Amino acid sequence: MTREEILNGVQEIFRDVFDEEDLIVEESSNSDTIEDWDSLNHINLVSAIEMEFGIRFALGELTALKNVGDMIDLMLKKLAK
Amino acid sequence: MNDYGFSDIYVGLEESFVTTIDDSMMKNFLDISGDNNPLHVNADYAKDKGFSDKVVYGLLTSSFYSTLVGVYLPGKYCLLQGLNIQFSKPVFCGDTLKIIGKVSYINEAYKQIEIKARILNQKDQKVSRATIKVGVMDE
Repeated sequence: MTREEILNGVQEIFRDVFDEEDLIVEESSNSDTIEDWDSLNHINLVSAIEMEFGIRFALGELTALKNVGDMIDLMLKKLAK
Repeated sequence: MNDYGFSDIYVGLEESFVTTIDDSMMKNFLDISGDNNPLHVNADYAKDKGFSDKVVYGLLTSSFYSTLVGVYLPGKYCLLQGLNIQFSKPVFCGDTLKIIGKVSYINEAYKQIEIKARILNQKDQKVSRATIKVGVMDE
């Protein structure tokens, strides 16, 4: 799976979680740039990504992430295993 | 009340309970919500619209999803975080409902579980289904 394919998949998940069908997600997107990205929606995002991509995250991995690009880096590592 | 801790929970864990809808529940829900739509309070009106009796509030029956997670699965340590409900059949006073929930997913990092739930009437017909997201607090 390519980086672009992951970003497209993640964007669909963001649109579903935030109920905003025109939402554009970029690698630099984070909780400062997406208004409704609160702690509960963060949990919902992680759950949805885990289910959609069939991967699992540890809490320590997630706390180090600063934006969507970091998340995609982590996903690429997990999907390569 | 059940008191499942996060480590006790696994995908496939299921709990259920049974309750019967009566007029006092309808009256109490009317008092709380103020929803006096005639479909729920006027049997003649409901019959004129094609139902056999006044229709029980969908959110009254859905309140049992709260009971499902708050009392049964996981019970004591529950923190309700999300609920998505689809209604499929009307419910009437006197109906006996079975509320069933099964754990379908566990988010280990944030101690959140997803429960697929459904409500069946006494004829085993599904009257609603729900996807419920629940946080499990530390014991």
